Amino acid sequence: MSRPGPRGGRPDVVVSGLGVVSPYGAGVKSFWTGLAAGTCAIKPVTLIDTEGFRSRIAAEVPAEVMGTLGSSRRRSRADRIALAAAREALADAGLQGPERAEAALLIGAVGGGMLEGEEWYWEETRRGAPAPGMRALRSILPFSHAETLGWRLGLTGPKETVVMACASGAASIALGADLVRAGVTPTALVGGVDVLTHVCFMGFNALKLLDPTPCRPFDRDRRGMSIGEAAAFFVIEDAEHCRARGGRVHARLGGYGMTTDAHHVTAPHPEGEGMIQAMRLALEDAGLPPSEVGYVNAHGTGTPQNDRAEALALRRVFGDGAVLISSTKSLVGHTMAAAGSVEAAATVLALQHGLLPPTANLVHVDPDVPFDCLPGTARPAEITVALSNSFGFGGQNVSLVFSRLP
Amino acid sequence: MDRRIVVTGLGTVNASTAGGRDALAGALALGRSAIGPVRAFDATAMVSRLAAEVDEVTLASLVDRDAARRLSRICRLALAACLLAVRDAGIAGGPGLGIVVGTEHGDFTSSRDFAQGFLRRGPAGLSPMVFPNTVMNTMASIAAIAIGAKAPSITVNQATLAGDLAVARGARLVVDRRAEAVVAGGVDELFHDVYQRLAEMGALSPMRSHAPEGCRPFAVDHNGPVLGEGATFIVLEEREAARARGARIMAEIVEVAWGNVPTAPHTGRAVRADHGSPVARMIRGRDPELVARCYGSGNGDPVVDDWERALLGRDLPGAGADLLPPVSLAPLFGQHGGLGALRVGAAALDAERGTPSVLVHGIARGGCRTAVLVGPAP
Repeated sequence: MSRPGPRGGRPDVVVSGLGVVSPYGAGVKSFWTGLAAGTCAIKPVTLIDTEGFRSRIAAEVPAEVMGTLGSSRRRSRADRIALAAAREALADAGLQGPERAEAALLIGAVGGGMLEGEEWYWEETRRGAPAPGMRALRSILPFSHAETLGWRLGLTGPKETVVMACASGAASIALGADLVRAGVTPTALVGGVDVLTHVCFMGFNALKLLDPTPCRPFDRDRRGMSIGEAAAFFVIEDAEHCRARGGRVHARLGGYGMTTDAHHVTAPHPEGEGMIQAMRLALEDAGLPPSEVGYVNAHGTGTPQNDRAEALALRRVFGDGAVLISSTKSLVGHTMAAAGSVEAAATVLALQHGLLPPTANLVHVDPDVPFDCLPGTARPAEITVALSNSFGFGGQNVSLVFSRLP
Repeated sequence: MDRRIVVTGLGTVNASTAGGRDALAGALALGRSAIGPVRAFDATAMVSRLAAEVDEVTLASLVDRDAARRLSRICRLALAACLLAVRDAGIAGGPGLGIVVGTEHGDFTSSRDFAQGFLRRGPAGLSPMVFPNTVMNTMASIAAIAIGAKAPSITVNQATLAGDLAVARGARLVVDRRAEAVVAGGVDELFHDVYQRLAEMGALSPMRSHAPEGCRPFAVDHNGPVLGEGATFIVLEEREAARARGARIMAEIVEVAWGNVPTAPHTGRAVRADHGSPVARMIRGRDPELVARCYGSGNGDPVVDDWERALLGRDLPGAGADLLPPVSLAPLFGQHGGLGALRVGAAALDAERGTPSVLVHGIARGGCRTAVLVGPAP
């Protein structure tokens, strides 16, 4: 079955609001300050017992930040940071009243309220009898975030929970953009959320994918990834609608590409076939040649397999050394279902500020990665078009193209 | 919708039957409930004891034995139904084929097994083979590999309406030119721990009532859903592409919409009207007399049943007893993530037989609302 034809004549989609809760703290400002300074937020884990594991570090949202989020402590940790980030995005966009109510809500999620559910389950297993607090199970599934946000924010537009592993956050932005482009809704609140859970931390340990030291994407000596947790939300909007209501524009969301490797459940295609196609489709959707792209916010997990395949794909799409690349995961860890939206936010902020966040902990660049990976220090660069890559288990590939407005 | 979307295939593995469009048509014509006492585990001490289960021998006959050894049960269910659907449609894989899987509970069996490994043996007990299954997109991933789907592969997680939502999203992927064809549907399995907790929380029939356990949507003595399991997928295709390859078109997906009626998680109230979701806008634009049949998500949960009847009553004023209450398939197949796709499949069969316009409606606790309008092949 052949690929579908071109999509033309659809409205422009812009980013009119941003909200982030990250290991740096609550708010876009603290997120950007951390990225711009190249501060690595990966530290010893405090949320779960890591005794006996290969890696004992992660980038957590600090406890003191959790205390400032303002929502009920009875909600799951993930719901609380999602709600805070979503509220910031809506406030940033200045969306109120009926305009806000009609927004779509698409959330990329994987872990749901699993952290609290695990506590309950483990307590019951230890007791060998029913444990109190079964209420925690009610928010264990990923769709619980959308239920909480849809209710608390009073949204009536299309509501959807997208589970696409580590590409979930990027997919929520992409699929929300399609709803706006198609005129289903003029605005959409889109983004991803994930927090540290036992299952996730133990799982990546079991797969030997975690680096015992803070991750080093694109380094010759890289040994794996570091887990992080975050929520990042965007308000995306029909450009005309935004202009008519006097909204602020952070960037244009030019297009996206979404493909599936159909190759392996956990490993990427060795030649990066699906990644290449996702990037090419994104550029085609945006109507831009590869030469227009100045910066790629790479998926860049720090695992030998991913970085090798992604570098191959970048070489095929852009040519050796033709773009600047960096990995946000070296700074805030791999925030799993949130990663796609966290890194898209980093990309948009980089375009806005004319400053590209660095790849932390990168000392010896892998010779198979023939790109300037911005080691250590952020670099000023007046880039007009940037691409954000997100890939995930299941061979899921999503590439987003953002451009700075003149 | 900008492009016209048609249904060209169906695959289902449910408690009543397994096969393509003819198998589903046969099960619907028979109208026999597959609900019975739980067989997969001992439920005699639980407050709920009924379910609609897929026969293991039937499932084993549908999935290659070598593949089956590597796959969890829910992955086998999804894989089998997807293979049946693409076979029914006669469609090939490639960069234009996408997949959308809806599920409510995902692969909790694997999550339980993974956690148990650690609780018994510490870090050494963790299985790297089981971990990927704890992420809900594994079913889509396995199926995408098997059918060669290289366009978007999406998993949507939703209570009650997972299958409906997957079909609606799948249709949009084709309309928005992200795929030429999409295999869309839903899957869930019956799992002891989920069943037990839902029963303990009073989420399943008999929901702490004195009426007997059973699935009785819209009845005066309805007292909760009965869980089922299975997978159902339909093949959605752009009409001209389907015609060009000589596909046997079952029906047209005339319109899809989904939205939210803001309400607290896990709740719903019949008095809460839908003031502005895309579903309300879509349904209110219809003349009730032109809607010949309506399937609903009512599954015996009084909250869902009463809310659905009230919403449709408001949005389809003048609808007669032939439309309201809507037809529920839950008594036949049990509530599970594939049920929404079964409803769309049933609507497509109705349309294939000439029913002019069939509305597949859904409302879930928590406020998610869906609508899929199905009509005869153009």
